[in-house]
Amino acid sequence: MTDTLTIARPRDLRLPTYLGLQLIIMAACIFLLQLDPPRPPAQYQVLSAELRQDEAVWLAIALPHRHQRTRTDAPPFIYRMSFERAPTEASQPWAIFLPRFTSGVEVAVNGATILDSRLNPTAGRVDRNIPAIAPIPSALLRDGPNEITLRLFVWGPLTGYLDTIYVGPDTELRSSYDKRMLLFQTIPLILAAWQGTVGAILGFIWLSRRHEHAYGWLAAAMAVGVIQQFIPFPTHQILHGFLGASVPLESALVLHFAARFTGLKVSSRLGWFVFLPSLIILAASAIGDPEVVRTTYMLLGPASIGVFVVLTAVILGWSALFRSERSSFFLGSTLTAVLVFWVHDALTVLDALPGERIFLGRLSYSVVLIAIGIGLTLRVVQALNQADDFAGRLFRQVRDAEEKLRASFAREEERSRKEALAAERTRLMRDLHDGLGGQLVSIVALAEQQHGGSATVIGDAARAALKDLRLVIDAMEEIDGDLMLVLGSWRERISAQLRAHSIQLEWQVLTPGGLPIFPGLRPWHVIQVIRLLDEAVTNAVKHSGAKKLRVIIETIHDVPEEASGRISVEDDGSGFDLCIPRVAASPAHPRTGRGLLNMKRRAELCGALLTISSGQQGTRVSLILPSHFGTTPSADDRDGAAGERH
Amino acid sequence: MSSVRSNGGTGNPVSILIVEDDAPTRWRISDALSRESEFSVAEAATLGEARQIVNASVPDVLLTDLQLPDGNGMELIREVKQRNGTTEIMVISILGDEESVISAILVGANGYLLKDAFPTDIADTVRNLLRGHSPISASIARFIVRRTQGGPGTNSRVSDLNTAKLTRREIDILWGIAKGFSYADIADHLGISRQTVPGYIKNIYRKLEVNTRGEAVFEALQQGLIKL
Repeated sequence: MTDTLTIARPRDLRLPTYLGLQLIIMAACIFLLQLDPPRPPAQYQVLSAELRQDEAVWLAIALPHRHQRTRTDAPPFIYRMSFERAPTEASQPWAIFLPRFTSGVEVAVNGATILDSRLNPTAGRVDRNIPAIAPIPSALLRDGPNEITLRLFVWGPLTGYLDTIYVGPDTELRSSYDKRMLLFQTIPLILAAWQGTVGAILGFIWLSRRHEHAYGWLAAAMAVGVIQQFIPFPTHQILHGFLGASVPLESALVLHFAARFTGLKVSSRLGWFVFLPSLIILAASAIGDPEVVRTTYMLLGPASIGVFVVLTAVILGWSALFRSERSSFFLGSTLTAVLVFWVHDALTVLDALPGERIFLGRLSYSVVLIAIGIGLTLRVVQALNQADDFAGRLFRQVRDAEEKLRASFAREEERSRKEALAAERTRLMRDLHDGLGGQLVSIVALAEQQHGGSATVIGDAARAALKDLRLVIDAMEEIDGDLMLVLGSWRERISAQLRAHSIQLEWQVLTPGGLPIFPGLRPWHVIQVIRLLDEAVTNAVKHSGAKKLRVIIETIHDVPEEASGRISVEDDGSGFDLCIPRVAASPAHPRTGRGLLNMKRRAELCGALLTISSGQQGTRVSLILPSHFGTTPSADDRDGAAGERH
Repeated sequence: MSSVRSNGGTGNPVSILIVEDDAPTRWRISDALSRESEFSVAEAATLGEARQIVNASVPDVLLTDLQLPDGNGMELIREVKQRNGTTEIMVISILGDEESVISAILVGANGYLLKDAFPTDIADTVRNLLRGHSPISASIARFIVRRTQGGPGTNSRVSDLNTAKLTRREIDILWGIAKGFSYADIADHLGISRQTVPGYIKNIYRKLEVNTRGEAVFEALQQGLIKL
């Protein structure tokens, strides 16, 4: 009940809506009740009869005829009536049709008995509206007046009742009989079978899911309904009692179902209390006196059924209104229909209603039970679907979680790789610092003291080695694909180198931020790229006689949507002949050729595109970096590049 | 050279103490500086010698190696810093690696000098230092800023490097330096005056400096307990 203000308004309208709908349903039911069951043509009806009051006195009465007497052990009422048969009608078979009577009849034509309804046990069920038909043997019929003698037996809780009877050609009467049999025998039988099936399904559901009490209660109600369907009447006294108790029992069970279904808490004492009427009726049957059973039933039966049906309708209506349960809305509406039919039946029993004595409560009740049963079965199916969905969702979630876990493992692996790299770098740095580095510095210092000649070459070589050491250490630091971070250090190194040779360095970053981030950039790529650039700078320093060296860094978009980078090294030197044979270096610049080959090889290792142009105005080395660096180092990636210093 | 500091404005040369155990290296640095008339250079090969000189007179500039035969150069940096806060101090480093340089910065150094730096560069570096420019290399800048970001590579690493005090602008400047941009480019990009960039860098150094009076911190630094 956590309605917000916005839906409080619709709820104000909900009660009138619900009640309005119930009124419409009631009106529809009353309209249905106005429809008369089929009858044969009026010309065949026998409207007048004589009823034997005492031993000899016959009293003229009109049909349909109701009795006030109710005692079941009394002798039958005897009717006498007559009909005419024209000689022209002798050719076709005749029959007598009794659309409705309570509770049993025996019919004789011209003194010969042709029908005894008591021989058909189901016909004795007063709540069934079963008609009777009997062909009249042609030998019995006379042209002109014929006499019918009818004995009406009364049992059960009802008073005697005899509807208009019809006598005429069999073909004229048969279709009405068939239709009534379909309505009042076949359909209830089908419903009972159906109810049995649904009840069994619900029972099985409840057996495997004991906590679903609603299913259990409804299954029990349906079982009672199915069993009572097959009890004949009249029969054994105890079964009479059960028959009388069955509908109060059923409606009590349905009441329990409604309470469970809507989640209403019912105290167990109150829960058992609703079974009291049916128990009392059963107990009365055990005493043995049919009159006691009848009285008990009349006192408790209809009233308790009415109370239970009303209670059920109220519970479902309450749930529909205040808990906005759509299923309760539906069930409540069906219960309203049952209620109307029950009122109609109750009034009929009390003879308060004119017209034919037809009971429809049982029929409507069966239909409702089946509707509820189907609804519950559908709910189970729906729940199963939801369970499937849930399982599917769970499966997806587990898969997602697994993927996340895998990704997190991968991240963890990456992290530990970086940590290992950092640790290795620190270790190497200390080693180089303490050993090789110090010695190279000493060589530089000593060579400088010698001044000129081979000492300068040695000094330069030692300095180049130091520079390379710094590159290796630099490249080993994790830079997450930001090559600019390495180029920053490289700029410092080459600017010292160029200053020493009085070459001016012009550093141009054309795009903001310089280069894009390169995923997959690893230290070995960095070393290749920087050594390649070092080579270009060294060539310019050593061989070109340049005064100015320009480094241009920019982001380019050769492939749309994919940013890449270009690093260019330009000098204003004399240039060199690019057609120098690859194997034999030019005599003028003996090492340039090899240097170029090295640069090409390094570019290939990284998947970068190297273009070199050289002319009188200078040399331009342009390196276009791939947007994604390969993940595995090439086989000969790390072989002796150190030996190629100039 | 008007802005170069001279002792008492009398034109006296700037006193420089070079502490380096490797003789050829010490000589080349010493030579590079002695060529310039504005410098008066003293040399020491050990911590002991250096202490004697400092006791006699605290130099204007101290250039020291960290690994000395009889101790660590950081001790000397700390002692000089305590005696005279105005002494400009640089570490002489072989590789310019962060481990040694940052440690020295934490106790009060203002940068480093590579042992194989060209003689002209050595003199220029010292002049710039005296002009109030604390030199910072791209790799040192990179090292510092990567510890301000807690990004990958630093996420699990507990760093005691105190970068919390750095402002957004200072960090931006460090990024620019790490990526090889010139001071002019950085100043233009950030919309600040080019002349203020060195001041920012000096501030960065001061913010990173730990309180060297705290013995515990110093000991931890020396023993490498503090993770950089």
